[in-house]
Amino acid sequence: MPFLQALLNGILVGGFYGFMVLGFSIIWGVMGIINLAHGEYVMVGAYFAWALFRAMGIDPFVSALLVFPVMFVVGYVLQWLLINRVVERPHLISLLLNFGLSISIANVYKLIYTADYRSVTVPYSGSFELAGFTLPTIKTAIFFAALAIMLALHLFLQHTRLGKAIRAAAQNKEAAKMVGMDIHRVYAATAGICIGLTAMAGAMVAPIQPISPFMGPLFTVKAFAITALGGLGRIPGALLGGLILGIVETLLTIYVPGVGAKVGTAVSFILLVFVLVTRPQGLLSGLRPVEEGA
Amino acid sequence: MTDVAARPTPSPQVPEQAPLLEIEDVYAGYGGDDILQGISMEVYPGEIVCVIGPNGAGKSTVFKAVYGFVNIRKGRVRFDGQEITHARPQEVIQAGIAMVPQLPSIFPQMTVYENLEMGLFLERDKRKIVERIEYVLELFPRLEERRKVMAGALSGGERRMLEIGRALLIQPKMLLMDEPSAGLAPLVTRTIFQNIQRLNREIGLTVLMIEQNVRQGLEASHRGYVLELGRNSYQGPAQELLHNPEVRRAFLGGR
Repeated sequence: MPFLQALLNGILVGGFYGFMVLGFSIIWGVMGIINLAHGEYVMVGAYFAWALFRAMGIDPFVSALLVFPVMFVVGYVLQWLLINRVVERPHLISLLLNFGLSISIANVYKLIYTADYRSVTVPYSGSFELAGFTLPTIKTAIFFAALAIMLALHLFLQHTRLGKAIRAAAQNKEAAKMVGMDIHRVYAATAGICIGLTAMAGAMVAPIQPISPFMGPLFTVKAFAITALGGLGRIPGALLGGLILGIVETLLTIYVPGVGAKVGTAVSFILLVFVLVTRPQGLLSGLRPVEEGA
Repeated sequence: MTDVAARPTPSPQVPEQAPLLEIEDVYAGYGGDDILQGISMEVYPGEIVCVIGPNGAGKSTVFKAVYGFVNIRKGRVRFDGQEITHARPQEVIQAGIAMVPQLPSIFPQMTVYENLEMGLFLERDKRKIVERIEYVLELFPRLEERRKVMAGALSGGERRMLEIGRALLIQPKMLLMDEPSAGLAPLVTRTIFQNIQRLNREIGLTVLMIEQNVRQGLEASHRGYVLELGRNSYQGPAQELLHNPEVRRAFLGGR
């Protein structure tokens, strides 16, 4: 059953994609900001895991837990000092600001770590058999970790005071101000959580992804494609979009001869263009114009 | 139009007493020329007062001046014996004035109950939050029935009730309502006004509202103020205004 095996591989990748995109999708949904530096935070998380692994042999999954609080603070401060200043201005300004940030981050990392590709080789990089399927150990672990984190995020958004404030700010900014929310603090916390989660995804993917300062943009494009497929700001939508991208990528790589892994990376571009041409509002009408929600 | 006597006739329901809200000769605007050019108004405890007037008369600006959203250049605002002329919005809320704005202020993808929770966002005492929400849900049986429904799935009238209910959570002494009938069908508008009157009777809620829907607004009110070009033009008991030939000609399409 090679098809089912391929499908399974796609689902495993897709679960990771659904998790990787959350930060991008929520920042867009809550603040109307398109975070072009999204992929750079994946990269930062990957380097974090690589550095800790090399220096102390710390497992990337442990690094993922460690990188969250660090990048939460970074995201909070960046939002507070920089992005909150332009959040009410036309989108082009925040877009350019994040574009500038993405270039700066990538080049600072190039200065520190050079442009050489790095890798993290964990001892459990093999695979195991289950019910006739071959499951790559790392990807399976990432998949379930991603689902667990999505569940945790869902519970956080539904049941905590801050989570409810984030949802409220996304749904009606003026009303959120009216009931006494400090909208800029809500935004800063949102950015902290989103960037922390994105870096977590980067740390987890470190063992299966060549790490370089310029790995970011590909993740940003994938985030765009997943958001176009699954919609904005909702966890189930992110998971759905991630699964579609993961499955399409994997199946294409396996079943279209000659293109192999090279087109695999172009699939997200192709999907994105296809969705935007046929359904500019997104596959599930989730790509609402940013300003309208206010 | 001629000026009517400065002293308003007290409503039949309201005994002679000190006004709850007193707006005295207020001049205010958005930085350029004053929009309000000497507005005066009084609202007595237990009254429903309706402010009418053509577009640009300064109706909404009066509310913004009370709430601290525009700067008052001259004149005074007192509420419940306290000077709030230059108070910030947060202080106005604490003084006991709640506001229901004209634009939708619900959170559509949160339940009715969660929307009410958000109305007490600054309150940390969980028991108090639950108590107040239950109190409001008792006042609005329709909301009680729909407490777990997403607010976005409510009808226009139910949404407006949710907004009113949420404003009542802070147990205000007075409610400012900017066009409670905006965007609602006439029958729904009637229900909303009936609810405002019911709250006025049941919990003695004092209401100051702006209305474009002059007839229904005045019919639901004890007294009314007519504003024009930032000045007081007419004032008096609502019934009297409804029968005033000038008011009828200007706002009710009558002769």
